[in-house]
Amino acid sequence: MNSILTKFNWFGLAGGVTTLLVIAVSLVYPWWQLTVGDDLLTVNASPVNMNLGFLDTSFTIPFILALNIVSILTLVASGIAMLIYSLIPRKSYSEHLLGFGYKKPLFTVLFFVIGLLVTTVICQAVLSLNIPLMGSATSTVPIPFVSGITLTVLLSAGFQWSFWLAIVAAGLCIAARLYHKKVASTPSAMTVK
Amino acid sequence: MDKIRLLLTLITIAIVVIPIVGMLLAYQDNLLGLFVPPEITETADALFGGGGDNGPGLEPPTMVGEPEYDEETGTFSLSFEYTNSFPIDITINSLSGNIKCAEHHFTLGNASLNEAVSIDAGETGTLTVIGKWTDAAKRHFQNEHPDEEFVDVVLADLAVDISGIQIQMDENEMGEMQVPNPAY
Repeated sequence: MNSILTKFNWFGLAGGVTTLLVIAVSLVYPWWQLTVGDDLLTVNASPVNMNLGFLDTSFTIPFILALNIVSILTLVASGIAMLIYSLIPRKSYSEHLLGFGYKKPLFTVLFFVIGLLVTTVICQAVLSLNIPLMGSATSTVPIPFVSGITLTVLLSAGFQWSFWLAIVAAGLCIAARLYHKKVASTPSAMTVK
Repeated sequence: MDKIRLLLTLITIAIVVIPIVGMLLAYQDNLLGLFVPPEITETADALFGGGGDNGPGLEPPTMVGEPEYDEETGTFSLSFEYTNSFPIDITINSLSGNIKCAEHHFTLGNASLNEAVSIDAGETGTLTVIGKWTDAAKRHFQNEHPDEEFVDVVLADLAVDISGIQIQMDENEMGEMQVPNPAY
């Protein structure tokens, strides 16, 4: 029983599968969504897919698309590396795979949250737009070249379930790193960076 | 093992560099388009009067027809035409404002939209606003405008909710209009 538990890194296996699942899910379901008015404008954001929806029209910013592709490839590489490592955790090169794969989901989540925070702070500072990260808020929007009219919009935002799934994937990958000490029984095992 | 480490490092670099450099090369003749796609500019222009095909953007509604007054109930109704110059279909959920005497700036009553109105892009819809003169307003009509059949008023503090976006206009935005004097 103990050998089965330590033959594979089950946390790594679960982390790898969940990471790949996060990619597939995030292509459809955003991690964070902002709605303006009665679904007049929606911002669907995730490291994998980010777009602006204006009624039936969807806009994608090319530079953001490039970053999305970077995130997709990073998470795919991370998921595959975690899966290969988890199935053969005692091979000499497995620790390299673990070191390559386990941090990427965590960093992806962190960069996404930091990016969101920075974006909302910039919008507040430059455009005086109070964009909530979670919940609802009303904000006054400046209208260029128009005076005598005040435009107030209701902004509703929130993290979606796919974001929490990404956190689970990141947590499983971290757990895999911690569990590795039990799995790697060979004394010559290299330290994971 | 060093080969694997090298391979993983190269993969990491390639994953980051290739998509970004590829996109930069694709947009090398239009770097602004890398951050602001033309669709966004066109939509913003259409919305805020930057030269879109659907008009100048935000426009106040204009009053049409004669105001109607029901002496028994003390209520009045006003009709406005609003042209949807946005490039999208909209729903006017609510509209409200204060009716003020144009000469004395005395608040005569408030008015609100009787029901939500949906207007397709580029189309014009009719909004019916109903309101009620206050007792103070009736006294104002009797005391200040006893010989006038029609009294000039302005619609002030106009607030419109269009598809969840609230627009607040100054009284000057609506201009003056005439309403029948209930005391005449």
